[in-house]
Amino acid sequence: MCNANEDLDKICETLDKLTLDALYLMQEEIDLKLNIENAMSGGEAHLAKSRYILGLTNVSALQLPTENSPEFSAGLKVEVDEALLGRNVYNLREIKKTEDENVQEPLRWFGILVPQNLNFAQKMFRQALQWSVQAVNVQNQLRSVLQSISNLKEVKTKNASS
Amino acid sequence: MALHSAIKGKLISVIGDEDTCVGFLLGGVGEINKNRHPNFLVVDKNTAVSEIEDTFKRFLKRDDVDIILINQNIAEIIRHVIDSHNSPIPAVLEIPSKDHPYDASKDSILRRAKGMFNPDDL
Repeated sequence: MCNANEDLDKICETLDKLTLDALYLMQEEIDLKLNIENAMSGGEAHLAKSRYILGLTNVSALQLPTENSPEFSAGLKVEVDEALLGRNVYNLREIKKTEDENVQEPLRWFGILVPQNLNFAQKMFRQALQWSVQAVNVQNQLRSVLQSISNLKEVKTKNASS
Repeated sequence: MALHSAIKGKLISVIGDEDTCVGFLLGGVGEINKNRHPNFLVVDKNTAVSEIEDTFKRFLKRDDVDIILINQNIAEIIRHVIDSHNSPIPAVLEIPSKDHPYDASKDSILRRAKGMFNPDDL
């Protein structure tokens, strides 16, 4: 009986710790999303300035490649930095033209001589991508903490009823 | 081959409004593969909900995609599909957009987390 009580106490203690972890991770996730929002709105402001210089339709989805465009590879990809307890930790990786000749410079879709603002927009959106990859890592961590909490709750219910 | 693809990394897909897609593709995440399938979808007011759903499901099935970025307002439209995706790969990240600031109360994973903190359950 004493042992069962000790087990229950340990489970409750672990649940407390995991709940605290989950709260910290939720806060971190929200902070990262706000960082993404800031970086994106900075990038969008620079896109708007580029539109003012180049013309409304010259910085739009019309310049993006379509299904009829020639095949090309992404210049930014994610790779698994390490796999912790079945959870992937991602890292953003730039693919150089020397590694893959199909990589294109996206700025060229908008012309040869593009305004400086388009370069700034590119930098801001790359920053947003960095935050996004970090947010995904936090989200995966939160998901695994929530899974542990759910498993422990089941064990606790079983222990309490026996 | 497996080693080769491990070195090259996996893709980030984008489903978003025009500015989000233009911005992230400018950042360098866009790709058209050899089957002529893009890893992005520009959603405007004329895009059908079924098209968004189909594209999202296609991205979920692709094994070269590890992260799907989707604007939160678009995620709201296909919430039932997003909520039914429980696997950590590919990870679905809801991001804000120009016209819709981030709202934590709508975020799929945060709502799931909040649901666990019912005091009666702890």
